[in-house]
Amino acid sequence: MVLIIGGAYQGKLDFAKETFGITDADVHTCGAGEIDFAKRCIYMIEEFTYGHPDPIGYFKAHREQWQDSILILQDIFCGVVPMGAENRAWRQNTGRLAQYLSKEAIRVSRIFCGLEQRLK
Amino acid sequence: MTVFISGGAKNGKSTLAQNIAVSLGEKRYYVATMISTGAEDDERIRRHIADRDGMGFITVECFKNIMDCLQTADKDSVFLVDSVTALIQNTLFPAEKNYEIDIDAANRCADELVEFAKTVRHVVFVSDYIYSDAERYSESTEAYRKCLADIDRRLAAVCDTVIEVSAGQPIIHKSRHSERAAGESKNPLSFWEDGSHGALALARDDRVKGKCE
Repeated sequence: MVLIIGGAYQGKLDFAKETFGITDADVHTCGAGEIDFAKRCIYMIEEFTYGHPDPIGYFKAHREQWQDSILILQDIFCGVVPMGAENRAWRQNTGRLAQYLSKEAIRVSRIFCGLEQRLK
Repeated sequence: MTVFISGGAKNGKSTLAQNIAVSLGEKRYYVATMISTGAEDDERIRRHIADRDGMGFITVECFKNIMDCLQTADKDSVFLVDSVTALIQNTLFPAEKNYEIDIDAANRCADELVEFAKTVRHVVFVSDYIYSDAERYSESTEAYRKCLADIDRRLAAVCDTVIEVSAGQPIIHKSRHSERAAGESKNPLSFWEDGSHGALALARDDRVKGKCE
């Protein structure tokens, strides 16, 4: 599994397309519902974690299904602690998930202004 | 040499940009981009002017269309554009149109910035990194973040050097020799390699190896 992280609008998906030959048909764009792990690239995981009680548990339960995937996650956990409890939980759960996925990944790339910074 | 610098607020971007600009050449322009909206801005502008005092910058005011600078300034010199954020803000939310969002104007501003990078001999752009927080923003704020990110990516793609500044420390994302400055023996980042910046030079070497074009 490859993990791609970075800020909003930094070119994470474009990087996945250029580097790993991903096309739009390969991409599952996350929302509140189930993740379609049959797709090669799972995009906007921060939308899945929004309001989800246990994103790490969910990913652990489906561990076999994403071993060869490209996972894309926005690093929403760098800013100010939000006032609302829901956003605080979102920020923490997403940060913890990033650590878990990063440990599992064979490669971690951070995208800054369209440029790759290889973290692992 | 074209340099793009971004990073968090009050992390040393302007100071680094000024030092690089000074090292790039004798004739240097400071492109003042900020339209003051009151006492707080006046104070920020005053502090920036004081910081630059004695560094030999000629100030040119440019609030929107960066190519307009070249009507008076010599393109074969050094330009410090601080900041890209202010230019995008001025064009995306024009004061004269009651701050109503104008994405086309912001896109034209972005096109001009890329053209400027391709035209002048040396330029250091400063932008702001505002993309990594847990907040649901309004539509207009998201449009602002997206416009700024798009121009950041375009400038990062065309510039020779891309630096992220964190707590005053530079992280080099890209570093290559400028075609336009070819033949100039001077290394514009050489001031990093004196005693006070030795560790930074090492960090740069570690990260950039294999990435230089």
